[in-house]
Amino acid sequence: MTDVAGGGITHHDVVCPFCGLGCDDVSLRVQGNAVEAGEGACGRAAALFRRSADPVPSARVMGREVSLDEALAAAAELVAAARSPVYGGLGTDVDGVRALIKLACKTGGSVDHYASAGLFRNISTSQRKGWIATTLAEVRNHCDLLVVIGPDPSRDFHRLYDRITPPTGRFIKGKRKVVFLGGAPSEEARSQLDGVEIETIPVAEGELLDALSRLQGLISGAPEVPGGPDLAAFAAGLKGAHYGVLAWSAGMLGGDGDLIVERASIIVDILNVDTRAACLPLAGRDNLIGANQAFLWNIGFPLRTAFRGGKADHDQLLNSTEEALKSGDLLIWTSAFRPEQPPAFEGQVVAFAHPDTSFEREPEVFVPVGQPGLDHRGLAFRTDTVVSIPLGGYRDAGLPSIATVAKGLRERLS
Amino acid sequence: MSAVRITGGKVLDPANGEVGVERDIFIRDGRIVASDAGDGATETIDARGGIVMAGAIDIHTHIAGGKSNIARLLMVEEQRAIREPSGPFCACGGGLSTMTAHATGCRYVEMGYTAAFEPAVVGANARHMHYEMGDIPFLDTGGYLVLGNDDFLLDLIASGAGQQAVNDYVAWMLAATKCMAIKIVNPGGINAFKFNARKLDLDEANPHYEITPRKILTTLIRAVTELGLTHPIHLHGCNLGVPGNEQTTLDTIAATEGLPLHMTHVQFHSYGTEGDRKFSSGAVKIAEAVNKNPNISVDVGQIMFGQTVTASADLMSQHRNRGIATPKRWIGMDIEMDAACGIVPFEYKDKSFVNALQWAIGLELFLLVEDPWRIFLTTDHPNGAPFTTYPHLLRLLMDKPFRDEQFAKLPKSARKHSILNELTREYTLEEIAIVTRAAPAKILGLTDRGHLGAGAAGDVVIYRDDPDREAMFSKAEYVLKDGKVVVKDGEIVEVVYGRTHSVAPDYDKSMDAKLDRWFDEAIGFKAKTFKLQDHEIRDGQGTVVHATKRSA
Repeated sequence: MTDVAGGGITHHDVVCPFCGLGCDDVSLRVQGNAVEAGEGACGRAAALFRRSADPVPSARVMGREVSLDEALAAAAELVAAARSPVYGGLGTDVDGVRALIKLACKTGGSVDHYASAGLFRNISTSQRKGWIATTLAEVRNHCDLLVVIGPDPSRDFHRLYDRITPPTGRFIKGKRKVVFLGGAPSEEARSQLDGVEIETIPVAEGELLDALSRLQGLISGAPEVPGGPDLAAFAAGLKGAHYGVLAWSAGMLGGDGDLIVERASIIVDILNVDTRAACLPLAGRDNLIGANQAFLWNIGFPLRTAFRGGKADHDQLLNSTEEALKSGDLLIWTSAFRPEQPPAFEGQVVAFAHPDTSFEREPEVFVPVGQPGLDHRGLAFRTDTVVSIPLGGYRDAGLPSIATVAKGLRERLS
Repeated sequence: MSAVRITGGKVLDPANGEVGVERDIFIRDGRIVASDAGDGATETIDARGGIVMAGAIDIHTHIAGGKSNIARLLMVEEQRAIREPSGPFCACGGGLSTMTAHATGCRYVEMGYTAAFEPAVVGANARHMHYEMGDIPFLDTGGYLVLGNDDFLLDLIASGAGQQAVNDYVAWMLAATKCMAIKIVNPGGINAFKFNARKLDLDEANPHYEITPRKILTTLIRAVTELGLTHPIHLHGCNLGVPGNEQTTLDTIAATEGLPLHMTHVQFHSYGTEGDRKFSSGAVKIAEAVNKNPNISVDVGQIMFGQTVTASADLMSQHRNRGIATPKRWIGMDIEMDAACGIVPFEYKDKSFVNALQWAIGLELFLLVEDPWRIFLTTDHPNGAPFTTYPHLLRLLMDKPFRDEQFAKLPKSARKHSILNELTREYTLEEIAIVTRAAPAKILGLTDRGHLGAGAAGDVVIYRDDPDREAMFSKAEYVLKDGKVVVKDGEIVEVVYGRTHSVAPDYDKSMDAKLDRWFDEAIGFKAKTFKLQDHEIRDGQGTVVHATKRSA
């Protein structure tokens, strides 16, 4: 749906690609290169969609403005000479990821997404032991008791409660309840939760894991272990809920995040013997989940996989961008959704990045790229891993997609 | 223009009544034609001493989607151990029970398969499914949409909205997800598990909607019949894997009242409760019922011994099975008011009484069902075994002494409960061509596949006529996809991609408004976001849309 007025075009029901909730009720006003988000966009999305009317920057090699062709030729030289390329960022749609996989297969090197830390906390548990998880619409309709573990995820997932815990749900009898265990809702979250019963159970810093262990004991019927806070009534509430959901944003959990995730999934496992319960592990900014999914179906491994001598192998510690950069000599940074700065690195940098990216140090090669969901169509995945969202193209500022650029680079390599 | 002439092979084309006729096959611009173009540009393939068949079609194989990715994640050891052989074509994938998209296409085409259908597309995951299927080389594909546990449908049935409304909804969903057929998995049971029910028999009411699996099944059978879909309801019935479920299966056959129904992986639904272990073969009874009811077709879901991973939308059953996970890990998911999934790794052991008997039950079914046009070769990949075991399975069906040899290795307790060694039937090559080619094409309505008549797709396979049928079917001498040689001497020589097939029966457009409201209120995003567009299929190619009685 589009309206034309005052020289600009307003697009309605635009799908938002940024946080992983996949809201699809955003309106975008586009006039030439200028973009302004209106109704539906949360504050963060509005800032990320906003563009000025200025022409987009041109590609650069060593800070000198060049054509796309020259930039790709320079990038090809660097890639061909690199011993150990590191593919970082990966903020791109599924087609971009597919193209980068093909490129990395050819050049060798490790591949990771810049926001994958939380995802790998979740994978540590899901891969080793498994869990029962759920999706946004299941929570919305079935969940009578939502437990938010740790810091309020709505800092990263702005409209979370609007989307998953409106006051009424199709199958919920009585009032829906949200319990914040070891965290507190922001003011914004409280206003989204208007009409929902809210309880906060404060947990002393660093004691969340201990609290979950005690909760697990109570749920399995073991005698209560002394210690604060008192969780007996909360445990009884969970056991009595029809469909309890334990949610967390693993990226926000502290150093013992892996163990907190594991504990939460065990609690859900025990609850499912007598009633229904599920995990809602939140992670997924800038199509992190889509990148991971495309890796799994194409390569068989999750992200943090390296290609060496024509073979792929996965190691979630060694192939993280941070670790890989310690021995890498070239960083190929891809970030199309937002002007995310590449990490500090002394080696050479090729950046296929958002036109507004500011660099601490000018990269050897910079190609400004279009944003999926604004400059071109694409596919991204929602945080719950099941639903994928079609992104639209709403302006033509002359910016190529990462898929196009990665393909162009691969074709220049012999 | 490209033209190929395959000369001197014995043509096995049961759809056109040809059994081992020595004749030439001509392909022009990707399609089979009646005669040579005669312009000298023809590439000639010498097929003397070989058997020429159409490309094989797998009607039930879990090759894509969210559940496959969960399986890959869970089975990381397998991914490490089995990598695609290094070569000029990608070589970045791997796995066996958890094969990557590229490996899936390669392993299928080496055996002579050129089409495979994903039987469990959950609506909410359809977009992912299509993107992933688009990365599988060589194969034409399509998906069966899982209905029968989706809240919108159950609400329609429970509120008495009527058959017409159900038909419109089914057609709307097929168009939105670009699928080929309707699959039902444990009708109403997956939904009931969300309300904490642990089992649901054919005539037991869903705790929320108070409608029975029988009602859901018969309503959807009517819907696809009235919409005129070629493929009947593809049913994964109630009580999968439960001893005694043979009765549920027989009751389900009776419930169809003569309307067409395809019962999938029927081996898992053919269990009795006889004997001291209360687990026995129901194959005789089930085969007898299939033989008597021409409206019923089945695929077997044969198990083979070894490590695999079971992936199903049936979370109710998979939760019940979680204790037998090997290795000890499993993942379940409730999905988006649509369905669910459960992924449980499992190792079938020949020393296990139950597993050995499952193996025998599958083969008994293959040998006791008489009409090869109504039984299909599947292992329910990867649930019974990876599809790469098909050549071994074919030998078991075609070679009685070999079968007896394998049977003799099983524990005596299992052998005592099976009549397998009394069954003397050996499948003929013609029957193999039916169960792997002609019949799958027919039951899916793929009029230009599964045969070698003029106008058919140029998917042609040449096998060496080896008395060791396992060796023969493991590696084809030649495979042509749309007229192009893609496999030579069992090795891939070129990578090409197939198409995606779908149906799109018409529906009353008032369904649009109803679903707009449903998505806004219940699902929390828009119906128009849910709907797939043609430009999303295979880089803008769109699907091949097959005719239905109620076409748009």
